[in-house]
Formats: sequence, C-alpha cells, structure tokens
Amino acid sequence: MHRKLFYFFNFACLALFVAAGIVDNDREWKGYQKEYKRMEIARIEKALSTETDEAKKASLDIALKAARSMPIRLRQAMSKDLIRYDRCTSCHLGIDPAVNALQVNDYTEHPFKASVVPEHMSHPPVKFACTSCHGGQGLATTAEDAHGEIKHWEEPLLAQPYLQGTCVRCHDNFEDLEGAQEAKRGKDLVAKLGCVGCHSFKGKGGEVSVDLGDIADKPVSRIDWSQTTADLDRHQWNVKNWIELHLTRDPMSLVPGDPFGHSCEHLEKCEGVAPSGMPPFFEELSLEEAQAITAYMLGMTDRALPMQYKVPAVKKPVRYADNIEHGKAMYTKFGCAGCHGEGGADGRRNFNALGDGQDKTNLHSIEEMAKGREPTLTKVVGTYSRDELRKKLVDGVSPTSIVKFNPEGPTPPLFMPAWKTKIKGKEMEVLLDYLLSIAEDSGEEW
Amino acid sequence: MNRLLLLSLALIMAGPLAAADKKAKKPKTAAQLEKEKAMKEPFANDYGPETLDAKYLKSLSANAQKGYKMMRARCAECHTTSRPLNSQFVETGGKKKADRMKAADALKKSKPHLFSKENKFVWQIEGAIWQRYVKRMKNKPGCEITGPEAKSIWQFLSEDSRKRKLHQEKKWTAHRGKLIADFKKKHPHRYKELYEVD
Repeated sequence: MHRKLFYFFNFACLALFVAAGIVDNDREWKGYQKEYKRMEIARIEKALSTETDEAKKASLDIALKAARSMPIRLRQAMSKDLIRYDRCTSCHLGIDPAVNALQVNDYTEHPFKASVVPEHMSHPPVKFACTSCHGGQGLATTAEDAHGEIKHWEEPLLAQPYLQGTCVRCHDNFEDLEGAQEAKRGKDLVAKLGCVGCHSFKGKGGEVSVDLGDIADKPVSRIDWSQTTADLDRHQWNVKNWIELHLTRDPMSLVPGDPFGHSCEHLEKCEGVAPSGMPPFFEELSLEEAQAITAYMLGMTDRALPMQYKVPAVKKPVRYADNIEHGKAMYTKFGCAGCHGEGGADGRRNFNALGDGQDKTNLHSIEEMAKGREPTLTKVVGTYSRDELRKKLVDGVSPTSIVKFNPEGPTPPLFMPAWKTKIKGKEMEVLLDYLLSIAEDSGEEW
Repeated sequence: MNRLLLLSLALIMAGPLAAADKKAKKPKTAAQLEKEKAMKEPFANDYGPETLDAKYLKSLSANAQKGYKMMRARCAECHTTSRPLNSQFVETGGKKKADRMKAADALKKSKPHLFSKENKFVWQIEGAIWQRYVKRMKNKPGCEITGPEAKSIWQFLSEDSRKRKLHQEKKWTAHRGKLIADFKKKHPHRYKELYEVD
C-alpha cells in the first residue's frame, strides 16, 4: 500500500511540474513577446530583401541578429526615487528602450504600437518608470491586473484626460505645458465654480467642507459606496470615479445623510444630518468639463516627492485695470461663487435653509428642503453699507444662525465662514468694491 | 345604562386629552424657531416695548399707520417687533432718495453730536437706513414679504424714526440709553459682543 502511495505522489508531483511548465509557457506577456519578436524579424527581413545599400544592409543584419536573440523574459522599468517597479514593458515592447531605442514604431496593434509621445522622451522610464504618470499596477503580469480596474487596487490606469492630473503633481507650471490643457481647464473651472469657498486646498480656502489638497490619496475604504451601485461595479471603486460622480450626479444622492435623524432616534437630543452640501454642479457642467475637473483633482496629492522631480512655476505678475477687476479676481480667489454663483447672481442650494417657493405645509419633503438657498448677492449686497458688508465677511454667518425651513430638520450644511484671517487689507477692500458694484439697482425711490 | 354612561364619560374625557397631546407635539414653525433664536442672541432693542401708543399712532400718516399694522404682522414672523421699534436707526426725510441723503448730510452739520462715536448705538442716522434694512429682510431667501408690503413697512419705520426719535431727541436718548444700560446688566457678554466693538 505504501509503495503504491509513494508512486502515486511521485507521479502527481511530476504532473504538477509539467502543468506548471505549460501554464508558465502560456503567460499572456510571453505570447505578446513572441508575437513582437516574430513581427520584428519579419519586418527586418523584408527591409533586408529590398535594401541595396551595403552599409544599411550591415546595420539591418545587426538588428536582425538582435531581434532573433531577443530573450523572452519579464521586463521591468525601475525608478528608485519614486519607488516604482513596473513590468508594463513586458507587453508594451515598443516603448521599452532596451528593445526599441527610439520608442517609436509603425505597428498599429495594441500593445505593440509606439507612437510619437514627446513626454516619453522627457520622462525616461529609468527615471520615472511607468505607473508614476500612467497609474495602474506596475508589478502585475496580466493586462487586467496591470491596468488596475480591479477589486482592491485604487490607482487604475489613467486614460486621457485623467492622465494629465499626474502632470499637476510635479509641475507647478502645468498650466503652461503642452499636453496638460485639460488639467488647466479643470483648474479654471474649479476657480470659476468657487470650490475653494467651501473646500480648502492644503489649508487655503473655506472651512465648510473637507480639504481637497490630498483628495487623490483618499483611501477607497473611507468612502461609502452604497449609493453608487447603479453607476459602478465593485472593481470601479476608486477616487477618480468618486470625484467624477460628484460632478456628473447630484452629490445629495451620493451622500444622502440622515435628514430625519433615524440613526439617532434613541437619543434624547437628536438632530438629523443634512445630505452633501455640494451644489448640483452636474446641471451646469458638460461631461468633458467634469472630466477636466477630475483630471485636475487627481493631481491633488500629499505624497512626498523628491525635490529634483518638482518643477516650480514662475509667479507671473498680475495687473488689474481697476479695483473692481481686482475685486472680481478676489471673488474668484476666495470661491464666493461656490455659494453665491458666478457674479453673485445665483444663490446655490442649501439643504433645509429657507428658499423661495417652498411649500410650508410639506415640511418633511426632501424636495422642499432642497429648495433652500444661499443668498443671491446681487439682490442683497446693495442693502449693506460698506462697513456692514466688511463685518459680514470678517465674522461670517454660523450654521446655527441660518433659518431652517423645517425647524426639526437638520442644520443647513452651507454657511459663511469667518474670513477674518484670510481676507485682509487691500484684498478685502477691493473685494468690497466689487461686491458693492454688482448690487442690482431696482430704480425705486424707496 | 350605567355602562353607556361610563362610556360617554370616558369619551368626553379622552377627547380633550388627545387634543392636548396633539397640541403638545405640534412642531414649531420656522418663524417661531427664528424668534426663539433671535431671543437667544438678543439686542438691547428686544427689551423695549413691542407696541406703540394708540394716540401717537394716530399722529402718523395714513400710509405709516398701514405700515405699522403690516410690520406687526410680517416682521413679527421672525423677530420681536420691539427690535425695529427700539432700534437706533433713524432715516432722514425727503421725497426722493437723493433728498433724504442730502438731509442726512445737513443734519450731520447741524447736529454733529448725534453722529458722534459715543452715541453710535443710540443714534444711527442715514438717508436710507430703513430702506436698506427692509430690503435686506425682504431679499432673504424664503422671505415672503412682497414689494408693496415692504414699501409700506419702510414708510412706517422711516416716518416713525423721525417723529418718535429725531423730533423727541432727549426722550429718545434717555429711552435708548436705559435699554442699553439694562442690557449690559442682563447680558454682559452679549453687550460686549455688540456694543463694545470698534
């Protein structure tokens, strides 16, 4: 019996070895390498057959020998500074400088094609590897895993325009870069929408919501994905999609809060939690604009970067025609539009605040609560004296001072931060000039 | 028969009890809540009278009398009526806004003590101060005061501020001064916050 068992396990081990060999020989990347090798040999042989120049023939002979002797092995681009070890060139042989020095070829098939990408020349794989810009899972050896849209991998491969977000991480001057136009567009839109009024970026900005200065680093595990099942599969849970959903869907539906306080009913004192206070920007943004903002936001990281990788920007002096124009720039700089709209002309949604046209007999309706509004500045600034307006900006308006639509409902999520430490001196005065200039003139004598 | 009597008695007693319970649970309106909040962050004005003397009211123009009623109904939805009635705001008179502004400038020259720093919480005189404030309230999101209603309220506040304050300078100074002094005793912290700022 023991002898029989001994033979059985010996044969089983042998079978396992053979199976391992077969499976290993059938790796996805090996298939690509064999195919690339075959294509290269065929291309050079064809060139040789038509070439008449002896010198060029000799050079083609060398290339042919090199192609024939190309080993089939895992290839790796390493950047010790950025701690990246990327095996992407195991399949993408056209951009491996060890196989194709120019990193350009005429192939059209994926993954062999290598088109002219100036950024590849200025970002050699030996210094940057691949995933530091492109994202994805560098150590993986299958396309699906490497491209990274899989469960538990938080940095998928970035296609355009999202790829431009990684330019933002190193290049402070990204706005001047060829190829980073969408990231620049995203930055301009962030300024125009007034995101900084509520969100700080590394400490600069409002205190109403979270600091977005490191949003690209946000762990997926800290996000509640329960409201995204209609939009995303589990393998699509990543920060890129989370940011973009805030711009293509109503944030209130993504983060619904607990407006009726169901989770605290057992407590003596219980106040509901308002849904996300972020305005419904999806109503005014195109998909391309939402993508541009997402691309820019993906550049918001707090990860340490070696100094030599950082490209500083030269500060350009800005000149304003007058105080009003200067003040308008301050309105943008401090993100006033985030709550009051562009040019102060459109007070944005503030859940459960008072708003126009609310049905006061329907206090428990989410729709009615969502009609709450921030003040429209063009209508109200004219009712303030300069000193009163300055005081308002300096002191802000606390969340509890905002009148609720449903008195038993949650405190409205948006409020005016006290800007006393952030807007001062000349910036404050020109902002006041601008605000007073946008006041609507009713033309009434009273 | 006894059972029927007992049942009727029980029903009669249960009715008011149920109604009382319902009344107790009735949620506060936004206006009530705002009023409560206003009293959590009071001003000295809030401790003055909430109404005006009927005889005095008769001395006002018909428009102002109408405005007074409007103010009592509309402004009181969010704060006490004593807040505007005991305010330091005074609006100078004139048919047009420009005239009112000129009148304020003229007053500044003829009665500079009313514009002094020491008196700034007793007298705040401008050509369009009530106009600004009434419009500010009207333009708050969700405020249901209409344009004509706001105008009527303004007409009252503007006229009243001249007749009751400016034309009875000593009486008003004493009244407002007492309100502030009492407020200082009642709410020293709030007093500091409101009236000890530069």
